[in-house]
Amino acid sequence: MRAVCALVRKELAVLFGSPMAYLVLAFVGLVTALLFFDHLRVYNQILFVYTSSASGGFELGTLPERVNLEDQVFLPLMEQLGVALIGIVPLVTMRVFAEERARGTEEILVTSLLTPSQIVLGKFVATFLFVTLMLTCSLVYPAAAVLRAGLGLPHLAAVAIGLFALSFALAAIGLACSALSSNQIMAAVSAYAVAFVIYDFGWLEPFTSAGAAKVLDAISLQPRFVGFAEGIVSLADLLYFAAIVATAAAVARLGLDVVRVR
Amino acid sequence: MYEAGIEGARRGARVEAMQLTRRFGTQVVLDGISLAIEPGESFGLLGANGAGKTTFVRLVIGYLAPSSGRVTVDGFSPDTEPRAVHARVGYVAETSRLYPDLRVHGLLRFAAQIRGLAGPALDEAVERVLQRFDLTAVSRRLVGNLSKGYQQRVSLAQAFVHDPPLLVVDEPTSGLDPLQQFEVREFLRSLAGQRTVILCTHDLLEARALATRVGVLRAGKLAALGSVDEVLDAAAPLDLFRAAKAVPA
Repeated sequence: MRAVCALVRKELAVLFGSPMAYLVLAFVGLVTALLFFDHLRVYNQILFVYTSSASGGFELGTLPERVNLEDQVFLPLMEQLGVALIGIVPLVTMRVFAEERARGTEEILVTSLLTPSQIVLGKFVATFLFVTLMLTCSLVYPAAAVLRAGLGLPHLAAVAIGLFALSFALAAIGLACSALSSNQIMAAVSAYAVAFVIYDFGWLEPFTSAGAAKVLDAISLQPRFVGFAEGIVSLADLLYFAAIVATAAAVARLGLDVVRVR
Repeated sequence: MYEAGIEGARRGARVEAMQLTRRFGTQVVLDGISLAIEPGESFGLLGANGAGKTTFVRLVIGYLAPSSGRVTVDGFSPDTEPRAVHARVGYVAETSRLYPDLRVHGLLRFAAQIRGLAGPALDEAVERVLQRFDLTAVSRRLVGNLSKGYQQRVSLAQAFVHDPPLLVVDEPTSGLDPLQQFEVREFLRSLAGQRTVILCTHDLLEARALATRVGVLRAGKLAALGSVDEVLDAAAPLDLFRAAKAVPA
């Protein structure tokens, strides 16, 4: 286990040794802030319109049900943050295996006492730690929205769990793509493609049977994530995200074997 | 630098290849190589570029799997007992393959940790190679900022940090200036009789200076095997490499 911890530390050192880590953290903070304040601005405008006596609008307390901080700011923010993660996470994962292979440093790892499974474990753990840091930065605004909307800490916890689960699943997909390539761009593009395809199969519904649509909905990321955004933590949804991580880890493990026998 | 004096009393590992064959798609890169390298031997693997030297050593260290045949290190196969093989092998690739974003000390520490060293033994091992390869002065510098010569020292240090009985070096002096070449050769010479060394090279002078026995690869086949004098004096130097241009069927 010491060797795996050493690999995790090395991965983090390499990540923070390049500007990419800082750029991604800054980018995530910026995107979250822009999204949050944009939704807040629109919400304030709606409130102004509805409550303005000059426009003969509604009295306070008689606002339409949908005009509240949760529906106007919080839920759209979560939805957009989920989509933004698809664009951001592959930037972190693309280099993890592909760069090692391109530089030839993979030989150092593969000829060490680390087993291929331990190599995959170490790289996944390091990436998940970075994603955790990234999300912690971006949770400031959802936290503010939850607390100000009076939704309470349990809701915030559910949202945080959902965001982490979604991010880990996206990171795992990105790592699997990186493990199958020696080209970082190829790894990132394939991760984007896979993540976008499985994010929401709703667009396929008009072209498929009801049964197929149900199956596609069950394997989509987005419907699973929405439950968390609404404050519902479901074991089935957690198991779904865990299954994605496990499948991606198995693919990454396979990627290391493919190099030996290709 | 590179003073003689190897810690420990092991005399090296035994390497044996039996009908070792490796294909990439339809191209046969190694074709039925059979040879044995005895403990403590400095074995030179000669051949032109593309002759199959790097593929051979990658099979020995377990980075590649053979298409057929078998290779063992001290009787252990990289396919079935990779950890036993990896514990016995240190590998220096042809070009410096290091982490440019790590500092020298951190990289050597990492290399030692993933080879099973911990606690005081880890600190001692890192300190030992820092001194042995004269890296103490640059131990806090980023590997990517070092000169090629220093990077090659770091490559050797990371391969040697766990004190392996078998050192596999692929074109270790390629691209180095004469002084750096001398230093690397002095280090490899200091291992004579105490560690098994597999030296891949196309430099005949280097092979003559460092190896006790050589094998010549030509287009994936073992064209000659014997003592340095037997092989290198038996043919005109360029004849050793000429047939390497032929691509096997």
